[in-house]
Amino acid sequence: MRLPGEEQLEGSARMAALAAVLTGALGLLGLRLWQLQVLQGAYYDQLAQGNRLRINRLAAPRGLILDRRGTPLVTNRPSFSVALLPMALRDRGGVLEVLSRVLGTPTGELREKLRGAPPFALVRIQRDVGIRILTTLEERRTDLQGVAVIADPLRSYPHGPLAAHVLGYLGEISGSELQHLRWWGYEMGDLIGKAGVERQYDRLLRGEDGEQVVEVDAAGRPLRVLRQREGRPGNTVVLTLDLRLQEAAERALGARPGAVVAMDPRTGEILAMASWPSYDPNLFAVGISPEVWRRIADDPRTPLLNRAIAAAYEPGSVFKVVTGLAALHTSAADARSTFFCSGSFLLGGRVFRDLRAHGRVTFRSGVAQSCNVMFWQLGLRVGATHLARMARSLGFGERTGVDLPGEVEGIVPTLEYKQQVFGEPWYPGDTLNMAIGQGFTLVTPLQVARMMAAVANGGQVLQPRLLRSVLSPEGRVLYTSGPVVRRRLSLSPQAWAAIREGLVAVVEEGTGRAAAVAGLSVAGKTGSAETPRGRPHAWFAGYAPADDPRLVVVVSVEHGARGGIAAAPIARRVIQTWQQLYAPTDRTAGHP
Amino acid sequence: MDPVLLVSALGLCTLGTLAILSATRSPESPSGLLSARLAHLAGGMVLLGVCAALPLETFRRVAKGLYGLSLALLLLVDLAGHERLGAQRWLQLGPLSFQPSELAKLSVILLLSDALARQTTPPRTLGAVMGRCLWVLPALVLVFLQPDLGTTLVFLAIVLGMLFAVGTPLRTLAGLVGMGLAVMPVVWRWLKPYQQKRLLVFLDPSLDPLGAGYHLIQSKIAIGSGQVWGKGLFQGTQNTLQFLPMQHTDFVFAVIGEELGFVGAIGVLGLFWVYLIRGLQAAQRAPDAFGRLVGVGIVAMVGFHVLVNVGMTVGVMPVTGIPLPFLSYGGSALLANLAATGILLNLGRRRGWSGP
Repeated sequence: MRLPGEEQLEGSARMAALAAVLTGALGLLGLRLWQLQVLQGAYYDQLAQGNRLRINRLAAPRGLILDRRGTPLVTNRPSFSVALLPMALRDRGGVLEVLSRVLGTPTGELREKLRGAPPFALVRIQRDVGIRILTTLEERRTDLQGVAVIADPLRSYPHGPLAAHVLGYLGEISGSELQHLRWWGYEMGDLIGKAGVERQYDRLLRGEDGEQVVEVDAAGRPLRVLRQREGRPGNTVVLTLDLRLQEAAERALGARPGAVVAMDPRTGEILAMASWPSYDPNLFAVGISPEVWRRIADDPRTPLLNRAIAAAYEPGSVFKVVTGLAALHTSAADARSTFFCSGSFLLGGRVFRDLRAHGRVTFRSGVAQSCNVMFWQLGLRVGATHLARMARSLGFGERTGVDLPGEVEGIVPTLEYKQQVFGEPWYPGDTLNMAIGQGFTLVTPLQVARMMAAVANGGQVLQPRLLRSVLSPEGRVLYTSGPVVRRRLSLSPQAWAAIREGLVAVVEEGTGRAAAVAGLSVAGKTGSAETPRGRPHAWFAGYAPADDPRLVVVVSVEHGARGGIAAAPIARRVIQTWQQLYAPTDRTAGHP
Repeated sequence: MDPVLLVSALGLCTLGTLAILSATRSPESPSGLLSARLAHLAGGMVLLGVCAALPLETFRRVAKGLYGLSLALLLLVDLAGHERLGAQRWLQLGPLSFQPSELAKLSVILLLSDALARQTTPPRTLGAVMGRCLWVLPALVLVFLQPDLGTTLVFLAIVLGMLFAVGTPLRTLAGLVGMGLAVMPVVWRWLKPYQQKRLLVFLDPSLDPLGAGYHLIQSKIAIGSGQVWGKGLFQGTQNTLQFLPMQHTDFVFAVIGEELGFVGAIGVLGLFWVYLIRGLQAAQRAPDAFGRLVGVGIVAMVGFHVLVNVGMTVGVMPVTGIPLPFLSYGGSALLANLAATGILLNLGRRRGWSGP
């Protein structure tokens, strides 16, 4: 096909134009080369021959973590790291050998760290070296070309294992983390939060590294700093924790495996979260040694596990709060209902035994005495489906959404669940078990705290929170968190009154007397949860003051046997501390 | 057949091979990546011969099939590609790695040439242009998502170059560019944060001073210190001390600039100039509109690569990862460029004897 003459002409004109554009552009590049190589050639030659540029990263200090009153929980301290600049390593084998002797690290390990590192990047090979090593390195400076000592701010946990599970710890960034995070400015060798708040808010806490452009001579010795840009320290994270209450909770829990959660039922702010056994996050601050890591990670007592959010337990009798609420809600019972407890319950030819015969009980005294027979009757009246529905409404069987990594969901069993997991239908006996918190139900202490908070505040199922605010390094408030209501449970005022009366009776005259505190009305529920793996878990979940709840405390002690004996006294000590700290000042502030 | 065109391409290949040898050899492996480069070169020469000898019609017939294959491979890369340097661009086939975007560039040229050559008049309106170029869009999007912004721009340069050559009014071309800029905010919101960051670094390398910015400083020092005559082949200190990262791929021109100086660097630009002008002439001698368009497309592709890559190493263009044709180390690109050279030679072939 032949184009009409006119367009043919235009076509060749356009070809000529294309040729002109290409010629012009190449010409400009030629001029630029003339500028670089001929006009400025001597300058660049000087830079290249005698002197070179090197860019050092200036590590920015990580942000602080404070408690709600501004007391530091996590800080930084100065330290020195030994690093290698692969590019400047002339006699690699020799240098590594000397370094290996000085540091006491096998050369193979040093080589491993250098593998794949870009030639122009400093590779940290040992953090937080002591003054003796530093002086030795200085003495042998001439044998150690390419070795640098750099100042690195180091993470410090002044309170040691205190609140370790909340705070978390740091570790060197892993390959897979790097893949995801490289474009947020993370680089090889960076320290990054691996657990707890350090991980949850890593991006807020990590600052922005600065850089230093240094002119160095042919031997890699710095001649002068050409340009320096200071880094920006990380933001300060203020937690809702109160250090004094945290201390009290951990001291009260002592050396018993378990967890304590203290929470403000009005806001969902977590005031204390303890989990034992614990560990010292300072061990991780400098890059933990494999032996220490293995010792902690393989410990059968699982010290790294945050038992408040990442361990799910049988709830035992604390679950009776759910059963009681379901019964009140479905009108299977009310405050005036009475029950007869002969000490056992007959269902389908099987005898279910209670601890003792309570005789005639009211709803209130049934709760106070944790009478199984009453709750079995309630459970049967309500039915498993409604029990499960109430449990879910109160936030069981789902993550609370607390701002910590690693939370588990727990289990609220249903008919389908049992069929699926065990291949068996749901029997009425299962409903009895569920009604008293035995069987398949699994809950975390934090979920229980959230339920208690909902009872205390009249039905708001809150999202528990650890972040109170974020401050810029200069102290400006960047963000302040507020309560998040995940769900609202609407029950009649009579129903709330009935369950609360029962919970007050638990502490005044029932199974939870060990949680009573002078001068303060306390409500709560004990639990002793049978477990297939040993002695029952001991529970206490309560709130105070009963008439104006401002504190929820939940205690779970693994294999602690009796809630009223093992868990309630721990709660009492936490509530007492809270009373000393908050009750008097609040009174002067005009609160009743 | 145009011997000058062939010689300029071979000259570039030879200089590239020397520069790669210089950049990658070390006391432990004195020949560096030389053997792999020679293997690519040999394969490329065979491809060049085949492309120069086939009847031009063949390219027209296989255009759609090649394009379909490119799309499939690009999709495969996006889904399962090998990640290098933070972007997915390669497919790994046993020991061989392959970069489908190189095939995609050629097949887009062929497909678009076919589409435009079917018309007697150039597309005059934006609508007509869009209608004609719609087929290019899937390849563009897939490459963009890898993410490979450099190659995406190469596609756009090819399309603009061909539309210009075919006589599309300048007004319409300007409208097209304007439209591209207008959809940017929409595209932006579709991107993942890390892709956005990459684009920001592209616009402002100082955002990534230890990555792209570092390369730029070192590249300028290497080239500048070469001065007029260069430090001599294999004598570059910046290169051999590995101040320059990736000096054998995207920054190979810096090795030439340092070791062969202004003379060598201008020589390379001169060879490219000869190649591109001769390429345009071959396009003009092509027997039909399809051939003309293919020629222009290839020239636009190679020319854009040269301008952006060299511009980057001398610090007048942002740092993007697009290689220097014939010189950079990289098998897929070399094969594609030699095949393209074969097609250019084919276009300029005297055809007096082949039919009426």
